[in-house]
Amino acid sequence: MIRYIIRRLLWGVVLLIVVAALMFILFRVLPTGNPALLRAGRDPQPKLVKEIEVVLGLSKPLTVQFWDYMKEIFFHFNFGYSYYSQESVKSLIAERLPATLSLTFGAAVLWVVGGLSVGIVSALRRHSLLDRTLMGGALLAISVPEFWLGLVFLFLFSSDIGKFKIFPGAGSYVPLTTDPWKWFTSLIMPWIVLAAGSAAFFARLMRSSLSETMEEDYIRTARAKGLPERQVVRQGVRSAINPMITLFGLEVGVLLGGAILVEAVFNIPGIGELFYKSIQTSDFPVTQGTVLLGSMFIILANIVVDVAYAYLDPRVRYS
Amino acid sequence: MRSTPTILATAAAALAALALAACGSSESGSSTATGSASVLSTAGYQSPATESLSGKRGGTLVVLQESDFEHLDPGITYAALDYPVVFATQRPLYSNKPNSTEPTPDMAASAPEVSADNKTVTVHLKEGIHFSPPVNREVTSEDVAYAIERGLNPNVANPYIKTYFNSLEGIEQGNGGPIKGIETPNKHEIVFHLDESKGSFVAEALVLPLTAAVPKEYAEKFDKNKPSNYASYEVATGPYMLKNNAEGKVLGIGYVPGKSATLVRNPNWNPATDFRPAYLNEIAIKLGGSEPVIDRQVLEGTNIVQNEPVPQSGVRLAAEHYKDQMDISPGGGNRYIAVDNKVGPFANIDLRKALWAATDRDALDRARGGELVGTVATHFIYPTIAGFEQAGGAKGLKVDYNEHPEGDMAVAEKYIKLAGYPSGKYTGSKPIQVVGASSPPEKEDSEIVNQTLKNMGFNTKLTLVEISTMYAKYCGVPKEEIDVCPNVGWIADFADPQTVLNVTFNGKSIEPTGNVNYGQTDDPKINAAMTAGETVVGRQARATAWAKIDDELVEQAAAIPFDWEKTPRLEGKDVHGVAMIWNEGAWDYSFTSLK
Amino acid sequence: MSARSVEVLPSDAALEFLDFGGDVARSPLQLFWRRLRQDRVALVSLGFIVFLIVIAIAAPLVVGALGLPGPDVQNLNLTDAFGSPLGPSLAHPFGVDPLGEDVMSRVIYGTRVALEVGIIGTLISTIIGVAVGMLAGFYRGVTDTLLSRLMDVVLSIPILLLGLGLAAACSVHGCAKGLIQPGLGTIIFIIALATWPYVARIVRGLVLSMREREFVEASRALGASNTRIMFREILPNLTAPIIVYASLLIPTNILFEAALSFLGVGIRPPTASWGQMIAAASPIFTTAWWYMVFPGAALVLTVLAFNLLGDGLQDALNPRNAR
Repeated sequence: MIRYIIRRLLWGVVLLIVVAALMFILFRVLPTGNPALLRAGRDPQPKLVKEIEVVLGLSKPLTVQFWDYMKEIFFHFNFGYSYYSQESVKSLIAERLPATLSLTFGAAVLWVVGGLSVGIVSALRRHSLLDRTLMGGALLAISVPEFWLGLVFLFLFSSDIGKFKIFPGAGSYVPLTTDPWKWFTSLIMPWIVLAAGSAAFFARLMRSSLSETMEEDYIRTARAKGLPERQVVRQGVRSAINPMITLFGLEVGVLLGGAILVEAVFNIPGIGELFYKSIQTSDFPVTQGTVLLGSMFIILANIVVDVAYAYLDPRVRYS
Repeated sequence: MRSTPTILATAAAALAALALAACGSSESGSSTATGSASVLSTAGYQSPATESLSGKRGGTLVVLQESDFEHLDPGITYAALDYPVVFATQRPLYSNKPNSTEPTPDMAASAPEVSADNKTVTVHLKEGIHFSPPVNREVTSEDVAYAIERGLNPNVANPYIKTYFNSLEGIEQGNGGPIKGIETPNKHEIVFHLDESKGSFVAEALVLPLTAAVPKEYAEKFDKNKPSNYASYEVATGPYMLKNNAEGKVLGIGYVPGKSATLVRNPNWNPATDFRPAYLNEIAIKLGGSEPVIDRQVLEGTNIVQNEPVPQSGVRLAAEHYKDQMDISPGGGNRYIAVDNKVGPFANIDLRKALWAATDRDALDRARGGELVGTVATHFIYPTIAGFEQAGGAKGLKVDYNEHPEGDMAVAEKYIKLAGYPSGKYTGSKPIQVVGASSPPEKEDSEIVNQTLKNMGFNTKLTLVEISTMYAKYCGVPKEEIDVCPNVGWIADFADPQTVLNVTFNGKSIEPTGNVNYGQTDDPKINAAMTAGETVVGRQARATAWAKIDDELVEQAAAIPFDWEKTPRLEGKDVHGVAMIWNEGAWDYSFTSLK
Repeated sequence: MSARSVEVLPSDAALEFLDFGGDVARSPLQLFWRRLRQDRVALVSLGFIVFLIVIAIAAPLVVGALGLPGPDVQNLNLTDAFGSPLGPSLAHPFGVDPLGEDVMSRVIYGTRVALEVGIIGTLISTIIGVAVGMLAGFYRGVTDTLLSRLMDVVLSIPILLLGLGLAAACSVHGCAKGLIQPGLGTIIFIIALATWPYVARIVRGLVLSMREREFVEASRALGASNTRIMFREILPNLTAPIIVYASLLIPTNILFEAALSFLGVGIRPPTASWGQMIAAASPIFTTAWWYMVFPGAALVLTVLAFNLLGDGLQDALNPRNAR
């Protein structure tokens, strides 16, 4: 087991290195134009541009630049400095992490609870009107783009500009430590919007998985043995839930890299919004840093999920 | 200043200009008389020209402000957003009353004396002006000298000192220490010695905040830090001061970055020495939030104002429901389409004229918000700046491509043919680069211009980027060879027309980065006229000289002006806001009062 | 784009398809079509999609027939005194945008972008995915390890972020000395790059199981070359699953393009794209709701249609889980 974990971790690190190298190619080599100028922030004075050229070591051969870049990231955890705000990318990301974490975990709770319950109910009442309505709703939910859904929510329910002034509007996010109630209410709409698609997906998957499981022999046996239906269902759910775990883990991993669309629409100062701003201002150190961070979360989530799977199913360890 | 309110051009050659219109006293009278009233005021709304300057004493004003300040140090500050606080707390040698673009002696006792050879400027200072606590002592001419000299200290790095004061003797060697050309013969007199005959112009530049006194013995310890943190401990000479503690610390008390700023009365301010009434007791500025939400809060609230550009939603809301709570001030700067005069199809003057003729300036202004926020531009010097009338006033130079603000494809075709395309449509194959800003209304303006270019036969590549990126990475970098930049603009630093035209159209002003001569205009005749114009003496004469240059620029179609901005500001129902005509219509805290 | 964007059935279910349980006289493909034809919802969706394709191709004709101006025709007179666009009217059933362009016309032309990106992007993605998946699954060993690792790398990168970053980095002057230019081509390229591993993984799994089957053994015994086996024996059996997963990928890609356009790095203006329209509508939707609602509804309906079709195809592929 330990060996499996180590193998997975090692591979994770290799992946990260490859991704970092890719970032270098994409953001340093590919763009046409003077990289120093592109990084010179809001006010590219000739002097500043020269300074940046030195810092970036642009006169050195590409391979040397690459090695320096990799060294900075992996040995010093230095992702560079935002040329827009002069802050270090690391500290910018650290500032914004709590907001993204708030958003992701709240949404995760919603979609797991929502998705599972809808999925279970649907599976147990297959082909009923309830089932069809729920699944129809789920289908709709995965067809709606989140940014549009967010705008529609704001249009209808935002307390400053909406038709029915219920929830705080865009930009009202405050950290948990500042004002817990305001933090909570400002995240309700974003949570719903973010969770909607994933909940629907989970519901559909749960329904399909549970329906299959409920047809299995051992379930029939359990019923024949006289177990109460609730317990039978619980058994079914326990095994049907396996594929969900992987997907849940992966989903969280992706979202931790920043749910850009929801953060942009609701003006939540998280990593996704940071990334979005960096795109707009050609602030490449920040762009690179956030993509790397996002990759790290995905890789980590993959490892966690794989290890969990290996723990539950020993056969996997030997693949 | 580039025409985006919080952005400052800080390049040495860049001019952040505040619209100080130094109209001669006779001019302001004549401009209303000749029917240009519509460019100076908007029917149905208060403007600096119509507001009364009297008010009730007392009360606290709350200011909601989305963006944080850039610099509050008088030696560095250069943004329209910072000026309301700076000018309520600091007194330069000369200042502007809110409804005037003509300088009034502030720290100075009388008008500047320019020598006959235009190389010496003498200013007499008032007596009895004191610094706020903890410095307390009287202001002397040495404090004014130090204020200017520290502009060259690399830890302070004033963005415009070289532009306006480069004729001061000894300025090249300046690095924070005494400058040879600044003489203080006694405690209340300061003399500027220039090595070029630019005295008249330098005298006008004395309205800039750099000339606000700074006490050397108190400030130099802060100026030693990289960068200087004098702003965190700054003292005031104006009616208000940033709240501080006994040691003079402002940071965390009178100014909490990202959160708030608080102005309280300066106990050492002597009203007898000042033209400002200072009605309010306190100004509490709250930072953050989003402008549309702020607008609504201000319109529905009491003793509250906002002090930034108002987006369309706010303008509409005020115009439809809160008409008396919106002030509209002229003189917000000009906007024009910059075209590359050096490289590409627009190096050809006839194609530039064709674009001018084809552009529907009405549509561009409509997309920006219509009549309430702008008037169609016909030349570059804009209303409230001296020389506006001489350059043709509202109608501008009478040339066929300037006649039809709604666009005239027939005239455009004539010029395209003259350029060598007999079909009347451009037939070159290489696509042209158009870079605009992605936020409204710049986005809409870019798309309108893009469509116009297409109608003329051009193959265009339109890219929309964030506005500061547009300036910093593309339009301000000659090497990028962007053919058309539809969203550039300019606001003057003070009301002399040189500040509108020189840095933006003089071939000598072209810089490799941070360039504000966006079109790289480099016409020898115009360059020579500008060099001559720098040394002209007297407001009227200067207005005439630079108006001629404006005409030349129109004749060369150096760029295509389309908008003279008017800026709205919103106030609560019980606020008697007084707007600064010379600073984008921002509220003047020293004149504003509660009803 | 998140992990959930492609619903991945357990490979076993797809394999069951290959069991000839049931009607031996018909080929699996025929069975597949037969089941599909009986699914009314799927047929309706297919019909709608065909309708969309027709509209996309014949957009100029449709717009002309409805008496609407072209999608890029600006008309600032259709804005009010504050520069705000006017709402739905007889002449402009979906209202106009801030430039006075007719929204209905733009929604119709937007179909082109959505379908082009969705279908072509998915097509490219599928071709790459199938090729890689087949090679990896068939040859196994080093080839498989290398290709699987490659898939891992691509899947480790948050694709939306990467797509954005790339598109932004290459704006104005393009990348790779001007080879990569912003526009439709780059978007399709990014989308294809981002999604091929999903297809590849599934195909690999299918091929891995298939290669041990009797019909492959038989072919090999007859002396068929590897290529022949891959193309003649395995690929035809992959057709149905590929169609299913591709059809599930299309709506994802359409949403992906909309997201990219929404965030400002998609199709260049003035080309009409639903995502871009929604983005342009966001600062003004309190006063110009039509500009947000109609493109959004078009997007939802299109994606819904593809999802329904995908569901139907999945059910036809695997009747055990008939919904």
